[in-house]
Amino acid sequence: MSHSVELSELGPVEKPLVLRPVNGSWLDWLLYGVNRAVAVVSMIALSISALVLTYSVVVRYLLKVPTDWQDEVAVFLLVGATFLCGAMVQAHRGHVGIQVLEAILSPAVNRVRLLLCDFLSGAFCGFFSWKSWSLCREAIHEGQTTSSTWGPPLWIPYSLMAAGMTLLTLQYLAQILAWFRTPPTPAKSA
Amino acid sequence: MSPTTVGILYALATLALMLSGMPISFALGSVAVIFMVFFMPAASLDTITQNVYEEMSSITLLSIPLFILKGAALGKSPAAKDLYSSLNAWMRHVPGGLGIVNVFACALFAAMAGSSPATCSAIGTAGIPEMRQRGYSPGFAAGIIAAGGTLGILLPPSITMILYAVAAEQSLGRLFLAAIIPGLLLVVLFSLYVGWRFKREYAGAVAHFQKTREDSPLLHPDQSSFKERLKGLPRVLPFIVLLMGVMVALYGGYATPSETAGLGAVLAFVLIAVVYRIWRPGQLSPILAATMRESTMLMFIIGMSLLYSYVMSYLHISQSAAEWIVGLHLSRWVLLGALVILVLILGFFLPPVSIILMTAPIILPPLRAAQFDLVWFGVIMTIVMEMGLIHPPVGLNIFVIKNIAPDISLSQIVWGVMPFIVLMFIGMLLLCFFPQLVLWLPNALLKSTG
Repeated sequence: MSHSVELSELGPVEKPLVLRPVNGSWLDWLLYGVNRAVAVVSMIALSISALVLTYSVVVRYLLKVPTDWQDEVAVFLLVGATFLCGAMVQAHRGHVGIQVLEAILSPAVNRVRLLLCDFLSGAFCGFFSWKSWSLCREAIHEGQTTSSTWGPPLWIPYSLMAAGMTLLTLQYLAQILAWFRTPPTPAKSA
Repeated sequence: MSPTTVGILYALATLALMLSGMPISFALGSVAVIFMVFFMPAASLDTITQNVYEEMSSITLLSIPLFILKGAALGKSPAAKDLYSSLNAWMRHVPGGLGIVNVFACALFAAMAGSSPATCSAIGTAGIPEMRQRGYSPGFAAGIIAAGGTLGILLPPSITMILYAVAAEQSLGRLFLAAIIPGLLLVVLFSLYVGWRFKREYAGAVAHFQKTREDSPLLHPDQSSFKERLKGLPRVLPFIVLLMGVMVALYGGYATPSETAGLGAVLAFVLIAVVYRIWRPGQLSPILAATMRESTMLMFIIGMSLLYSYVMSYLHISQSAAEWIVGLHLSRWVLLGALVILVLILGFFLPPVSIILMTAPIILPPLRAAQFDLVWFGVIMTIVMEMGLIHPPVGLNIFVIKNIAPDISLSQIVWGVMPFIVLMFIGMLLLCFFPQLVLWLPNALLKSTG
């Protein structure tokens, strides 16, 4: 019931990377383009993080070279990819929820329920992105770095987090606007 | 307002937002932020993003996307089909061997891929049609795959175990090792049941034949030549080597769990490139995209669950709830039983990731006070969540089976999985009576009770 994404990932039909808007507004098309680009970048980041961690094992045990930056690079890549892909997942309505009410309520009430859910989720994401940008600005002004010996600047992951959450907020905004244009059908529960 | 009152309000708000159908991650985050506004200093709101980042930037947690990547690489290649065919050639002459092959294939694939639905789908796609063709009843075939698939969250590398290790502050290496014997125990229990049930179905087919002269494929045992058996090995061996290699890297002290995840993913890609010629960007893109979608969804739930738990702890809700449970002075087994039922009920609604992160601050202190080993409990909790994966009405694997075998009715699948739920319960009881089944291997190999 609360696992629709996991189920859909297993189907024999491959999903498109990002859903192509049908009768979309300029915002839908903008997000479509950005989400596609971000998804490709995130997929590359994911692959690089796997290679970096493998490299870490190889140089430490075969070449006896101490490792100091690999874990942090992997963290930055994976955190960045995760936040940046939040909007792409939401474009598929892939952030799972409990859909028990969907089966009980009438279609008209379900429409309103979906709008309220999108509004609340969008408001939360908007608040989170605002606070993320504040954190990022603070990290730049204070020159914050991680506590490791390598000490890379923290504005890098913070800015990726802020950008990802902003994109997610815009995705919710686009879905709310689409609701007013054409009432969406609630996603089927698993 | 007392922590108890705040706690009740917190639980009600969570229930309301979750049942509204909001994404679990944002429902948890919203409840946390709303309670920060009303019950915590204004400055705490400035720290939420830092809290979420700090929790999510744990390198152990970030091994999750990489384990998912490894599972996706194997799951979207023909590896499962080859593994299945090879095992089938070796065992199909044994009575009930085909069913047992499916259990073994699920266990092996689960250990390579680390995902329950992926295992269910990958092995079930080949296994269910084959079993039905050989005369197995649809519910029986569906039950074997649904239950076999649950081994994905128990056998290492398990994402559920990674989260439990973080939430309970236990060694991931110990947890992975602790799950091996219970995982094998379940494989044995499942196989014994499959053998027994096959004999019953066979006897039924014989009786039916004698009465009606109607033939059944069950009455014609399948044979395979030695050549056939050898033929499948070259395609399967590299994956077994991958499985063993990852284990050696982790337990030989060569790599940390996150490095093991990265190494495993890279090796999985090398293998599918060499064995199946899957290396072009167009072929790799669906694997990477599916990984990004699933891991992003999971990591958002994890990040927001951790924020939710932080607020619960700041407002002394978790401590009060834990103290209340301790204050009930329940006997340790009644306490364990009550907590197991709580986890089982939550499993009707929530994925394992949320259950672990939301309940750990409340249920672990009383368990610690009752002197339960938390590594042992991690295994018990995972088996309970395995039961949740096949327990009607909302077990995930039931729907995976429905997805890959739409002509098997939901009631047939549900009746098919029921005996396996009983077997898991029996397995859990055995682990309660003989905790050494869980603790012996980590204690023996890691030489510490930590």
